[in-house]
Amino acid sequence: MIQSYKLRRTVANILIYAILIVMCLIWISPFVYLVLHSLRADGGNVTYNHLIPREYTLDNYIALFNVKGAASINFPRWFLNTLGVAACSCVISTISQLAVAYTLSRLRFGARKKLMNVGMILGMFPGFMTMIAMYYLLDAMHLTRTLIALVICYSCGAGLGFQISKGFFDTIPRALDEAATIDGANKNQIFWKIILPMSKPIVVYTVLTTFIGPWCDFILAKIIMGDVRDNYTVAIGLQIMTTPEFMQGYFKQFLAGSVCVAVPITILFLRMQKFYVEGVTAGGVKG
Amino acid sequence: MKKVLAILLAGMMTASALAGCTGSDNSSSGGGQESGSGSTSKVEGGKVDESMFGDEKDISLKVWAPEKGVTLAKKQVEAFKKMYPGVSFKSIEVVAQGENDAATQIVNDPNKAADVFSFPSDQLNKLDTAKALSPVSKAFVEDVSKANAENTVKAATLKDQKTKEDTLYAYPETNDNGYYLVYDKKVVSDEQAKKLDTVLKACRDKGKEFIMDCGNGFYSCTFAFTAGAVIDGFEEDNETQKFKEFDEDAAAETLMAFAKLMKEYKGTWKSLDVAQITSGFQNGTLGAGVDGSWNSVADQDALKDNFGASKLPAITVNGEDKPLISMFGYKYIGVNAKTKFPRSAHILAYNLSSEECQLQRAEELGWGPSNLKAQESDFVKNSPVLQAIAEQSANAVAQVNIQGTFWQAMGTMGNEMLKEGWKPDDKNATKQLLNDTIKDVRDE
Repeated sequence: MIQSYKLRRTVANILIYAILIVMCLIWISPFVYLVLHSLRADGGNVTYNHLIPREYTLDNYIALFNVKGAASINFPRWFLNTLGVAACSCVISTISQLAVAYTLSRLRFGARKKLMNVGMILGMFPGFMTMIAMYYLLDAMHLTRTLIALVICYSCGAGLGFQISKGFFDTIPRALDEAATIDGANKNQIFWKIILPMSKPIVVYTVLTTFIGPWCDFILAKIIMGDVRDNYTVAIGLQIMTTPEFMQGYFKQFLAGSVCVAVPITILFLRMQKFYVEGVTAGGVKG
Repeated sequence: MKKVLAILLAGMMTASALAGCTGSDNSSSGGGQESGSGSTSKVEGGKVDESMFGDEKDISLKVWAPEKGVTLAKKQVEAFKKMYPGVSFKSIEVVAQGENDAATQIVNDPNKAADVFSFPSDQLNKLDTAKALSPVSKAFVEDVSKANAENTVKAATLKDQKTKEDTLYAYPETNDNGYYLVYDKKVVSDEQAKKLDTVLKACRDKGKEFIMDCGNGFYSCTFAFTAGAVIDGFEEDNETQKFKEFDEDAAAETLMAFAKLMKEYKGTWKSLDVAQITSGFQNGTLGAGVDGSWNSVADQDALKDNFGASKLPAITVNGEDKPLISMFGYKYIGVNAKTKFPRSAHILAYNLSSEECQLQRAEELGWGPSNLKAQESDFVKNSPVLQAIAEQSANAVAQVNIQGTFWQAMGTMGNEMLKEGWKPDDKNATKQLLNDTIKDVRDE
């Protein structure tokens, strides 16, 4: 055995770092591949004999956003569709989810426990089980193949995801509510003016999750949109770019599109990141 | 009193449900046939008498075509509208929809799907099982059967689920969904392209590769078919794949001949995806390959003047040349059984499958026509690709009535033969392999 503590520590560190580096490489290589090949200039569309491209260009991105005539591959439009749907669902879902969490955390009413249990159980059903039913209900309302249908589906059930925010609200001392009530605030004012400003991390978390859900969703959008390519979202759009019909002509654009998909999420995250630190509740109550 | 009311209500509900069924049935299957009794003459070359539209007014139809074909389909639809000035069309919409996904989309929601759509032959069963297709209108059956290649008509003729009569379910559109030999004329001469061993030898002599995907059932079933193990629809149970009877010894010898070539030309014969063929020609590493008709434009671009195409080369078994028998699909134009304008939809489908429209598709899209007159046209005669495909279609098994177990089993057989350590001279092992494959296909 190695006697020296220093040497032992060094060997252990080297081992740990080696393992971590290998895992990191495995994890990050698909992203690197995606970015590099989305910038690839040479070679055929699908097949390429080198792992790392030899010539680079921005043409794939330009072609992606430069839609010719009535082509059914219309990435900018899909991008805006998705952005609109995701933004609307994000706003509605965040408000309803936080409101439900606040209600269940602060108010006491008869069916509170039962409602929480029902919400928990409903949340355990896999979402896609109800999709066929959802399709026919939307069809009855003449809403299939529209973007509004997507917003409705994504945001209406959002209240059920209250658990995490409720847990957070539970940690905010009730003394704050009581103090505000004495000052004459009603429940609504407490929610908006006292609780929310103190819960920035959970607001940010909710905004991010409710945005990313619709942004990345594939199955529901695929079922609802059918053959109306103008109303596609990026997820289905990118998928049809990899079908045999378009694969040969659009593979590099598909890679470029996959990179672009990450942009809004990244921006949203960077903008929201600082609130993670700022929203500290400790010290809200003195004495 | 309450009970009586309940029974009455229940009765009413079932009655209305039944009425709903019969109602929709009439409108879907009956519509096409009625138009047959309306007029018996003047059905030729895609044109019909205006009276065949019957009392359909404000006709609005949706047509699905693959992205590449949308522009042409729009043009053809406009021409169709002009053909019948007395008929009131509200709109005929052409929407892009990939053919590979057509059946799924139709079955998902027939009410929102296209009235007239194009689909490949392997989806015929799925559409038939889902009762999604309205059979070809009786008035057109004779003309469609006469005008198109027999194999395409035969493949779309299925037994009606109720009446057990042979029924033509769709209008043939192309006769080209298969694979053939593509070669670089600098490497392989036209003469050498006639036989598999000379193709391989020419490639090896020039240090080039030959690509045929042995691990993909779509291509590797060629080995079994050439050996005589040809599929023939389903057994009585409508599930188990049926094979034609064949001589086991002769079949084993043919397979052994394939395996021998694979072993002899190891390093030359590459079992790679067809997508590698175009890039192989671009990079200059490839001499020849078995490629699908859908890649022909890309291959032609890569090879330019040196592009050569022919039917699959023959294989020599015991001194005798055997033509390679391949899998071959067709494309059809179908009419949605739930269409609100069955007469117009059938007339449009009939028109889109006519000689004129097929020829336009051959010229603009490079699709091989199924129409016999279009096949004889100068354009098709002078196109090496379309000629090669047409010749191969004579030695082919139709891609219809195929069980899902087929592809994997055939791919495995190809991979086994290619494997290191496989003995091409071992007749018993070859027989065993073929029998195992057939068992796997039949799921026994």
